[in-house]
Amino acid sequence: MLIFLLNRLFQALITAFGVLTLVFFIQRLTGDPTALLLPETATQEDFEAMRRTLGFDRPLIEQYFAFLGDMLRFDLGKSFVQNAPVSEILASRIPQTLQLAAGALFVAFAIGLPLGGVMALMRGRWLSRWIMGFVLACQSMPTFWSGIMMIMVFGVWLKWLPPSGTGSFAHLIMPSIALGLLSLATYARITRSAVVDELGRDYIRSARARGVKMPRLVSKHLLRNSAIPVISITALEISQLLAGAVIVETVFAWPGLGQLTVQSVAARDFAVVQAVVLLGALVTIFANLLADILYSIIDPRVRLGSSS
Amino acid sequence: MTMKFNVLLASVAAVALSAPVFAKDLTVDLSGEPSSLDPQLQWNPDSYYVYRNIFDNLLTRDNAGEIVPQIAVSWERISDTETVFSLRDDVVFHDGEKLTAEDVVFSVQRITNPEFGSPQLGQFNQISGAEALDDVTVKLTTDGPYPALMAQLVKLSIVPKHVVEAVGNEAFNAAPVGSGPYKFEAWDRGISVSLVQNDAYWGAAGPFDSATFRAVPDAATRLANLQAGTADLVVGLDSDGAAQLAGQGSVQVLSAPTERVAYLGLNLDKPPFNDVELRKAASMAIDNFGITEGLLGAGEIPMAQLASPAHFGYEEKIDPWIFDPEGAKEIVSAKADLAATPATFATAPVFDQRIVQALQQMLNDVGFNISISVTDMPTYLNIVRSAPEENAELSFGRWSCACQDADGITYPLLHSDSAWSRVSDEKLDVLLDTARVSLDPESRQAAYAEAHKIVRDNYYVLPMYQAAVLYGASSDLTFAPTANESMFLNRMAWSE
Amino acid sequence: MCAAILAPVLAPLDPDRQNLLGRLKVPGFESRGVTYWLGTDELGRDIFSRLIYGARISISVAVLSVLLSGIVGVTVGMLAGYLRGWWETVLMRLVDIFLSIPAILLAIITVAVLGPGFFNVIIVLTLTRWPRYARVAYGQTLSVAKRPFVALSQAMGGSVPRVLWVHILPNIIGPVLVVATLEFGLMVLFEAGLSFLGLGVQPPTASWGAMLSTGRNYVATAWWIATFPGLALFLLVLSANLIGDRLSDTIGKGR
Repeated sequence: MLIFLLNRLFQALITAFGVLTLVFFIQRLTGDPTALLLPETATQEDFEAMRRTLGFDRPLIEQYFAFLGDMLRFDLGKSFVQNAPVSEILASRIPQTLQLAAGALFVAFAIGLPLGGVMALMRGRWLSRWIMGFVLACQSMPTFWSGIMMIMVFGVWLKWLPPSGTGSFAHLIMPSIALGLLSLATYARITRSAVVDELGRDYIRSARARGVKMPRLVSKHLLRNSAIPVISITALEISQLLAGAVIVETVFAWPGLGQLTVQSVAARDFAVVQAVVLLGALVTIFANLLADILYSIIDPRVRLGSSS
Repeated sequence: MTMKFNVLLASVAAVALSAPVFAKDLTVDLSGEPSSLDPQLQWNPDSYYVYRNIFDNLLTRDNAGEIVPQIAVSWERISDTETVFSLRDDVVFHDGEKLTAEDVVFSVQRITNPEFGSPQLGQFNQISGAEALDDVTVKLTTDGPYPALMAQLVKLSIVPKHVVEAVGNEAFNAAPVGSGPYKFEAWDRGISVSLVQNDAYWGAAGPFDSATFRAVPDAATRLANLQAGTADLVVGLDSDGAAQLAGQGSVQVLSAPTERVAYLGLNLDKPPFNDVELRKAASMAIDNFGITEGLLGAGEIPMAQLASPAHFGYEEKIDPWIFDPEGAKEIVSAKADLAATPATFATAPVFDQRIVQALQQMLNDVGFNISISVTDMPTYLNIVRSAPEENAELSFGRWSCACQDADGITYPLLHSDSAWSRVSDEKLDVLLDTARVSLDPESRQAAYAEAHKIVRDNYYVLPMYQAAVLYGASSDLTFAPTANESMFLNRMAWSE
Repeated sequence: MCAAILAPVLAPLDPDRQNLLGRLKVPGFESRGVTYWLGTDELGRDIFSRLIYGARISISVAVLSVLLSGIVGVTVGMLAGYLRGWWETVLMRLVDIFLSIPAILLAIITVAVLGPGFFNVIIVLTLTRWPRYARVAYGQTLSVAKRPFVALSQAMGGSVPRVLWVHILPNIIGPVLVVATLEFGLMVLFEAGLSFLGLGVQPPTASWGAMLSTGRNYVATAWWIATFPGLALFLLVLSANLIGDRLSDTIGKGR
């Protein structure tokens, strides 16, 4: 177990290092932000002066080693667009992103799982078909479209919810739904197929033949045994939610990491981009690790280390 | 289930509606959050909309666009390079300290110090010296005669020396202290900046107890906020968005012509636009009136020069463009091969894609072969600033120097020294240089008139129109938009 | 599909033909003897024609990016799962690295370095999606590689490409196809998302995503601009998902 964890940790470090290196260099392929920072009337000398101030006149490899040095000292650097330390900027965004991700996961779980279960248990009936239609609809709408439609209907016409922004529970409802719809569909499908698989197994068949009632079966066996695919997909879903939040956060003016990513990539705010990507990579890696550990707790048949 | 759901929604709605509404507070939706609140750092609309309310400037422009006193009550040019300003003596910063000539000197020295690295350096680096003659008198010295000095000083915010020196630049940016009509209250990163009224302001502070500037990147969402009543003023509208507000009693659309001039930039070193006849054909192919009236319709005015009535150096006698697609086709058909050279039209998502597509169609209709290339803003800026051979054949821009002087737009776009310029015309250079350093308004005006004419005759750049700015506002709000796109809270009012 | 291929025959008008005097007209609007069945957009172009031409773009972007990312991902996944050892570590860490880089960053970088355009949209989608195929192919290969016939083929001196092609690929292709059909729907949505962020197919070329992302600004004044491409997109993604479900059920039964 310990060796397995150490090994995974080591690999995670390598991955994080790889991500940082790659992002450092490919970002700089796209030019620097000087032209964005200066007013339209700036001259060529102003450009050179700005480059010197920001350190872009130094050789790339020197900049890279300076950057690695900062990383080793856990110094994320300073945003030259927002004129603030990156750690401060991230600290203000992370709670917002967590709220939104939690909201979306809640929507996906609370609606997706039961729908998936119902679809499996009522396979072939009309209810199941209608649910399937709904699930597919959730999966077939671009969020920038469903988002603005929700805003128009619930924010402007009915005036039930604030159209955008943060600050209260009411603000969280629409973005969570918009972001959660796609995951909702994923969960409903995964649950459906996992439950269908389990239903076909011998132990369920014999239990049913022995006259064990369905609700008891569901609570006792089905839930536990269908959980593995759900957990493994959650690991992927979390990183997906962080990435997918880009458009939802833009539409609802939600100040999370997704919006920060778009804005800082667009502004060539290198230090912020690096930090956001690093954070995303760590989340992805640890979510996967956590999922692996959870498997072994839920299903002792899965032995850690065998899959890596 | 349905019942329960309705009850739930109703209670949510009740929470949303029962939120207390302070009639005296103002909520403004901007497209992004300010990059900085230190007025001597970043200079972009989302930043200056906010910090111009926290700080006073040395001079300002009234709603008609005239340069008028603010911190300086009067000024006198004592030589070609020296100007003496007399300051108000009743101005205090938000921390209670008096604003003195020392603060003005400090502000000038700070922004002109290359090590400070202000992005605005280029607007002030002609100022070589600042000296406090006494507590209320300051003398500024320039490198040479500098006619645009006053126009630049309109943008010089006065920062408190004692605070900046005590807390440092970073902390000052995070919690700025100014002398303006509104005090900094809080900056929720990524969400909003809130200001409260400065009770001790020396002038009129306006009607708001507090004001909140929020960052709402999606234009459709900003409109929704205005319609839902959660925002009182929103920026970044186009006329189609404004049409959505028409007929709604609770909101209004405000507009004003700005000092931005929209133009079509041509690459003079590459075919097809290295040929003056084809440039002429391009100018004839473009239906400026169709674009300003049919497509934009917010009060844009067609222009045939790189200046507008809002600028010093605008020349009334420049002939307007002639829209003549048939004539353009004739010219092009005589040079069909050259005209059919594939040409790239560089643009970025921030520009109105309707105009870009309309321009492409108009040019292709007469026989050009133009394709659009949308890249993000930094890439676009790199393309249009690059050497002629790597540059795109066409680009659309909307230029603002925020100085309302023809120098700020003609020099960068037309002088051969400038990285933005694709023009290399000695005669034009001489005219622009003369106008840049002459202190005599009449000879400056004459130089610009001639420069505009040279550009018009050679079709170096195709100026299109004076851009207008549109705001959506609550119908209770009184606000007069200005050419320099300022947003002074103390010039607004509630109409009740 | 048919509509997409036959676009030039079916479309009544040039999809890029503007008419500034006939902007934002309602469906059924007639001008100079031409009927705009689904109305006109913000530049007075015929929405019906754009819808038909847009089908070509949206479908070919999705098909090509699914194909490309499938080929890259499956190759990497099979190699990692079959060769194991260092190959496995290096390739799968590469997969992790690419999974960690935000799609928006890859999109902007591609546009900045290669310029915008139809093929570069496909490159962006491929860069962001191949790791998913690699994961699936890797997992499947691990289990297939344990089976006796693979060892037999190895013992008989089969080269790596041969073993992968003849023995492994046919055995893992089922689950990969299921992923591919679901990805197809996602790719249509992603293309729309790129258009929303201004990094999609270049104007004036019509794509459903681009039409929808402009049209959303007109929901209150000109509902038809976004409604029709939205509906078309919806139906396309829906049918892709239905095919995916059918496929996965069939394969599931076959096991």
